[in-house]
Amino acid sequence: MLFGRSRKNPVKLADKPVVEWKYTTCGYCSTGCSIEVGLDQNGEAITSRGVGGADVNRGKLCLKGIFEHELFRSAGRGRAPLMRNHYFESFKEADWDTALDKTADEIKRIQSTYGRDAFAIVSTGQIMTEEFYTLGKLARGVLGTNNYDGNTTLCMASAVSGYKRSFGSDGPPGCYDDFEHTECLLAIGSNLPEQHPIIFWRLKQALEKRRFPVIVVDPRVTMFAQMADIHLPITPGTDVVLLNSLMYVILNEGLADRAYIEAHTSGYDEFVKVVQEYDPVTASRICGIDEDTIRNVARTYAKAGAAMTIWTMGINQSTHGSDGVVGINNLNLITGNIGKPGGTSLSITGQCNAMGTREWSSCSGLPGYRYLEKEQDRAEIAKFWGIDPEFFPKQRGLFQTDIFPAIETGQIKGLWIVATNPLTSMPNTPRIRKTLEKLEFLVVQDAYADTETNEYSHVYLPAAIWAEKEGCFTNTERRVNLIRNVIKPYAESKPDLWIFNQIAKRFEQGQLINFPATTEAVFDELRILSKGRMLDYSGMSYAKIEAQRGIQWPCTEGAEQGSLRLYTDGVFQHADGKAKLIPLPFIDNNERPDDEYPFWLNTGRVVEHFHTRTRTGKVGNLNKFSPTPYMEMNPDAAAELGIKHGSYARLTSRRGDAVVMVQLTQRIAPNSVFIPFHFHECVNRVSLGLLDPWSRQPAFKQSAVKISPVSDQTAAAVRNKAARTF
Amino acid sequence: MLDKVKPKHYFERNDEPAYARLPLYDAPQKNRYGQSIDLAVEHPELTGKSLNINGDVSISEHPNRYKQHGFYFNADNCISCHACESACSEKNNLPPYLAYRAVGYVEGGSWPNYTRLNISMACNHCDNPVCLKGCPTRAYTKFAEYGAVLQDPDICFGCGYCTWVCPYNAPQLDMKKGHVHKCNMCVDRLEAGLKPACASACLAGALDFGVIETMPENRMQLQTQIPGFPTPAITHPNIRFQQTKSLPREMTRPDAIPLRYERDDQSGTGYRTKLRDMQRDKQWNLKKLLSSHENAHIAFTLSSQMVMGAFVMLFISQLFGLTTLSTIMNGNSKIPLLAGMLAVLGFGLIKLNLHLGKPLRFYRGFNNLRYSPVSREIAGVSLFFTGLAVYSLFNLIELPFASQLAMAGGYVALAGAVIGSWYMYKLYRIPARPFWNHWQTATAFWGGSLTLGAGLLTFISCVVTGPDANHHLIQAMALVALIGSGMEAAGHLFHGRDMVRQGGEGAASWYDQTTTYGYSYYLRNGLLTINLFALGALALAVPATTPNVVTGSLLLTSILATAIISRALFYVLVIPTTMPGAFFWRNRGFQEHARETGLADMPQTGVLPNH
Repeated sequence: MLFGRSRKNPVKLADKPVVEWKYTTCGYCSTGCSIEVGLDQNGEAITSRGVGGADVNRGKLCLKGIFEHELFRSAGRGRAPLMRNHYFESFKEADWDTALDKTADEIKRIQSTYGRDAFAIVSTGQIMTEEFYTLGKLARGVLGTNNYDGNTTLCMASAVSGYKRSFGSDGPPGCYDDFEHTECLLAIGSNLPEQHPIIFWRLKQALEKRRFPVIVVDPRVTMFAQMADIHLPITPGTDVVLLNSLMYVILNEGLADRAYIEAHTSGYDEFVKVVQEYDPVTASRICGIDEDTIRNVARTYAKAGAAMTIWTMGINQSTHGSDGVVGINNLNLITGNIGKPGGTSLSITGQCNAMGTREWSSCSGLPGYRYLEKEQDRAEIAKFWGIDPEFFPKQRGLFQTDIFPAIETGQIKGLWIVATNPLTSMPNTPRIRKTLEKLEFLVVQDAYADTETNEYSHVYLPAAIWAEKEGCFTNTERRVNLIRNVIKPYAESKPDLWIFNQIAKRFEQGQLINFPATTEAVFDELRILSKGRMLDYSGMSYAKIEAQRGIQWPCTEGAEQGSLRLYTDGVFQHADGKAKLIPLPFIDNNERPDDEYPFWLNTGRVVEHFHTRTRTGKVGNLNKFSPTPYMEMNPDAAAELGIKHGSYARLTSRRGDAVVMVQLTQRIAPNSVFIPFHFHECVNRVSLGLLDPWSRQPAFKQSAVKISPVSDQTAAAVRNKAARTF
Repeated sequence: MLDKVKPKHYFERNDEPAYARLPLYDAPQKNRYGQSIDLAVEHPELTGKSLNINGDVSISEHPNRYKQHGFYFNADNCISCHACESACSEKNNLPPYLAYRAVGYVEGGSWPNYTRLNISMACNHCDNPVCLKGCPTRAYTKFAEYGAVLQDPDICFGCGYCTWVCPYNAPQLDMKKGHVHKCNMCVDRLEAGLKPACASACLAGALDFGVIETMPENRMQLQTQIPGFPTPAITHPNIRFQQTKSLPREMTRPDAIPLRYERDDQSGTGYRTKLRDMQRDKQWNLKKLLSSHENAHIAFTLSSQMVMGAFVMLFISQLFGLTTLSTIMNGNSKIPLLAGMLAVLGFGLIKLNLHLGKPLRFYRGFNNLRYSPVSREIAGVSLFFTGLAVYSLFNLIELPFASQLAMAGGYVALAGAVIGSWYMYKLYRIPARPFWNHWQTATAFWGGSLTLGAGLLTFISCVVTGPDANHHLIQAMALVALIGSGMEAAGHLFHGRDMVRQGGEGAASWYDQTTTYGYSYYLRNGLLTINLFALGALALAVPATTPNVVTGSLLLTSILATAIISRALFYVLVIPTTMPGAFFWRNRGFQEHARETGLADMPQTGVLPNH
């Protein structure tokens, strides 16, 4: 010691007596990080760390992953099933059999009284692939309701729809390795450092080795926008115009990859006609990006040897979400940037297993990217499950965002909600509240009993969380990764698979179909059903997945490894094997700011929270970074209204009002405000969420609001506090 | 793929990525301040010993074990993802209400030409660790191993002085546990050849770690400052920066501290800390003013200064035969006076002791007489208390040599008062706390001693024998109090002027004084002015006048109220030269709001509620 004590005391640091590390995959976002959870000698989870040898995260974790082991014992977990006759009564604890019997009986009653489709299921992107497949089997094969969808309609539906329209199938064609090869990265509506910090780290690693232009399109000056070489602060909701104009420049300046267009695309002539309407001058007046910048970006992108586009909710959550995705695909098709290293349309997915539900849940059709609309697909699955193919509807039913209006108008009487929280996450929550009141029967299945939607349930089924179960997730780059069971389910909670199996048992048709008891046995069904298809799992096994720290599909039987990219041969999933170039006319149907409601309302995520905070709101070391909602507002706009930094302001829209704490910052335009969506009774009280015509995804990011100062700050603080039960 | 050797510590693993390993760059012999980077050069006797971490007696063979290490922060790259902070909190099992590492930011420009500069900061393991020097208990050690400055919570008694002197807000006073704890450089990881948890967790190529004055790969600068970072002159912190991207002329911070940073056009690169007008309303905030954690300090400083003033005046008057005062000791007032002084001082000492996180460890306060002004203050005041007790005892009992012993006690008390009051003043001359670091602290303390001491003597005498019997005493004491209050007033005038001129944190404190606590501040000024006039009238009136019980009591009450408000303002207003916070985390404004509204009652808010 140089100073201080002459006698050295022993150094005491926090120590973690880990006796065993267990391998899992993170249960928050779709990055798909491999996590090891450290257990002490009592089997309690005491620490988490990124897996050093995992290709996705290479030893790193974002802050949510760092504290993920705390979820097992977090507040608000459901201890036992709960039941009541009316939502306005108190719950009583019940045993599992009683709760499951009640649920099955209510489903039977509603279906026999009002028809099979009168009972709807809204699921999630959070449970395991095997569970999704099993829920799909139950919904499509046993209950036979066609009103079955996931909350992925709020996040990835536009990407799915856009991929299907362009390439003939869902499935992100690229991977994180593309950062290592690309010569130009275009990010539209993706705040990568905040939403997907580990993917950002991968990008940053690539940039440390080799500089290439990064172009970020975002109305806010996010950290990503700041570090970009070019930032395009676009007018909200006009991405399609920008994309069309970029393509106008590329096509008219002879920068397109003619050979690729000829060989691998169809629909060029119709497509070009519409593109020609968006010369940069015309486009600049709509999208707010000047003509020269549009030309510069178009040339930079087209001249790069390989260029890639990533996007997230900035594209998906708009009235042109699906079109935006198609526009990105168009851009990459005409520049020959699909299926090659560094050239791709890579949708950065939202939830940990949004991909799993897209692949296997049967929400939008049948398992393994099969369609209800295709007779052959119906026949295959009916045969495999051992049921009559005529039991399946011949067309997909309602999307999540159409299920709620159907409850409102009485076509749907019963609802099963699995691991999602529409009372906070849906746009215009006052309407959702009234909708949920109308249900004859609502069953909520969730790891947390304090999820706000549970306010309206008749039966609550406590589910196990994350690594209290075993199974697989698929990440953004199609990597199937494994969650080993780390710890026993909390109290009386049960794995979702067990719950689905138990419900199935209670139906006659459910007894005809095999519902395997373990996820590994379910996984075998996936391998069989995917063999020879695009999403081929047949070469995977749990052991192999763990050893390789995840495998990217397709991984054909006998193959050592998975595949980095799709469409490397230029053959697409449309019947003609070609990708479609689709014309994208722009109709501005957004609720734009006007004299009465003069601000654009934009919503989004922050890095410390996930979804509706049912998890992150309980972990103090995450929640402390934003324990209460806030609104980013431009100081110049605030000065005109007399609104101060750190005070509460009132937000009014054509839907209702909310109070929110104001954070003044120049990161946001003077005519816009931004509010994170994670918080109950805040931004979604006023958001509109017009639906995309293709994906039925709500346009969370474009609506109009009025903002006024609040004179009684104490009352505003009380109102805000009342909504913060966690 | 993995060799199956079981790692020794839970944080070690066989597939550790290269980025987490300590680098082996060549370092210069000396750092830019002329300090040897190899700490074993001057202290070879310190090498080859185990750090004895959690009972592990092994010694790392790492070639740089005795070199000063430090953090490297590339401000160009930080995205405020909180991974560093979280990895730290997870590694150290920290509760949500405090953290060793925190990311704050400054921002500037105008949409879309906007820039936010994030700053991740923990302990800088300084060459000149002011925490170590300030700590009265010697809980701190600067180790030759890696140059780590480690603090031992088992020694700490929770006075929080290190948190005052540190310019970087590195030591954290844990109000729940009652002691300080702080960044430990992850010396356990270093001993295993790994970078600290925070640097290993960084997701943006911003935070790194290595031997000081070495640059990580792909980096271009080894700066010692970025906007928002306090001057390195105070402690020679072991942190280096890169910050190459152009920044706006003016940057503001998102927390409630009224500061902004303006480019210094003279130097062309640096930024000056300036006041930011937050359009705050003038308020009273009396309740907030008088209910802070620092109340114990208000009680202790005022009561000890009062008694020191009273005693020193009394004792000197005895020594020099100033009978106006010394005669009190001959009459009925003697016992109440001695008892009163002991009681007031005892009250102050008890308040001080009870405010410690670990009051039973009070005796450790003398541990660092070598460096710590707090230790010396405690020693001085204790000496004073002892001397005063001896003085009182032998003034009351009739024994041979009693008067000599009393005088001896008096001299001891006098020495104690001189030492105690000097270090009481010195300990507030903290460069990281500009609002205190001004000679006004001296005028307030010694001026207060005179005013309050005079008040105490007058009060007790008048209570015992009535105002009329103390006619001359009142006039003399009024003169003393006039001088004391005059000193205070002059101090306030110059202090205000200097704080405003100085800009920065001092001006920000001044701004809070005139806005958030504006009316309380005016009340103090008003009372002080009234006191001055009233004391002037009493002291200088010819012929001398004697106040009646009512006016006398009013004046004494006013003097005491002035002193309390003044001292409360002194404590509550100080703004350290610390790092900017974020909008919620490390934002004093939000913390207060969370406590007031009850948000703090939810532990996951990360704010400890008031108790």
